[in-house]
Amino acid sequence: MLICRRTFLAGAIASTACSLPVFGATASRPEFFKGSIEDNGVSFRATNYRKIDKRWRRQLVKYTSTEPQGTVVVDTKNHFLYIIFENQTALRYGVGVGREGFKWYGVAKIMRKAIWPRWVPPPEMLVRKPELPKFMDGGPDNPLGPRALYLFRGGRDLGYRLHGTTEPWSIGSDASSGCIRLFSEDVIDLYQRCPIGTKVLVIKHLGAPVIDESAPADAL
Amino acid sequence: MIPHLAGRLLCVLLVSIGLAACSTSRNSSPSAPAADLTNEPDSGGVNVQPGSEKDLMVNVGRRIFFTENSAALDETAKVTLDKQAEWLAQFPQWKVKLQGFADEPGSEAQNVAISKKRAEAAMQYLVSKGIAPERMFAKGYGRDRLIQDCADLSCKAQNRRVITNPQDAPET
Repeated sequence: MLICRRTFLAGAIASTACSLPVFGATASRPEFFKGSIEDNGVSFRATNYRKIDKRWRRQLVKYTSTEPQGTVVVDTKNHFLYIIFENQTALRYGVGVGREGFKWYGVAKIMRKAIWPRWVPPPEMLVRKPELPKFMDGGPDNPLGPRALYLFRGGRDLGYRLHGTTEPWSIGSDASSGCIRLFSEDVIDLYQRCPIGTKVLVIKHLGAPVIDESAPADAL
Repeated sequence: MIPHLAGRLLCVLLVSIGLAACSTSRNSSPSAPAADLTNEPDSGGVNVQPGSEKDLMVNVGRRIFFTENSAALDETAKVTLDKQAEWLAQFPQWKVKLQGFADEPGSEAQNVAISKKRAEAAMQYLVSKGIAPERMFAKGYGRDRLIQDCADLSCKAQNRRVITNPQDAPET
């Protein structure tokens, strides 16, 4: 059965750090925003949930699994992120996923968290989009949004984050590029619920095989 | 090599039709949730009753977390407690039990002591935010009711917690 696991792992090795959405899009779709929210000294535009399909909104759902409470499970195909609660329930959030972006599947841990994170575009993205800044301070126009949760494996930063967005319409879709993004309101909420050390499973869809945590570390 | 190849082909086939049959070590794999149950809305889905226990779970958050051997409230814990204080002020019919837990190196007695300190720290903070101490009860459970028992931080982090547990159905 070892062969089997390796076969599956092969798809996971072909991962690159995910990139992020384009700039300047916020102004173009004002109908997706309503009012503003103050957070840690920064004012950002609140999501207009009347424009958002209910299924992408944060809600308690039934969830049968053996995963312990507090685990985060990302179903990339169906655009849901779950945090496991007690009594066979989970809190479910809608997410946006990169079309070419989140090719990595597996088990990781949140080992760093940031409020109004700054953004350093990865070198390969700067090649693709030379007009991007080399560095961007955290703030309402930063594509990471108000929070970022950084995924690590074996003590190494995987280059993947759970973060907010300046493009609420991209939740529930495979955006042009991107990590796992949530509504800004939701990533603020999730940040509160995930201590450093929180386990994150990124899977293709619920019920799909998970890369075994005991897989050789050098495979990743 | 024939069985080897056959095994690989079988595996690819199994993976391709989406069966979680690959790994014999399933300790980190979620079981396949029953499609007819998972994702069914619980307690009204997005329309949670304000002031209900589920409202506290979904819109406030019942848990705060701690680092090893510490009962100090970090900024994140304070933000959650601020929201809890707001909620408790808005819905005065509730009393809450603040349940502290621990998963530290050391004796059971030390674990009970630190878990109690955690619950009391949460209570003192809520009192400082205007919640009457008569509405609250702090208790330490030590290493009882571990979420999961393992040496890794992913287990420890979840176990080192205080849960704000509403008591008694509210009078309506």
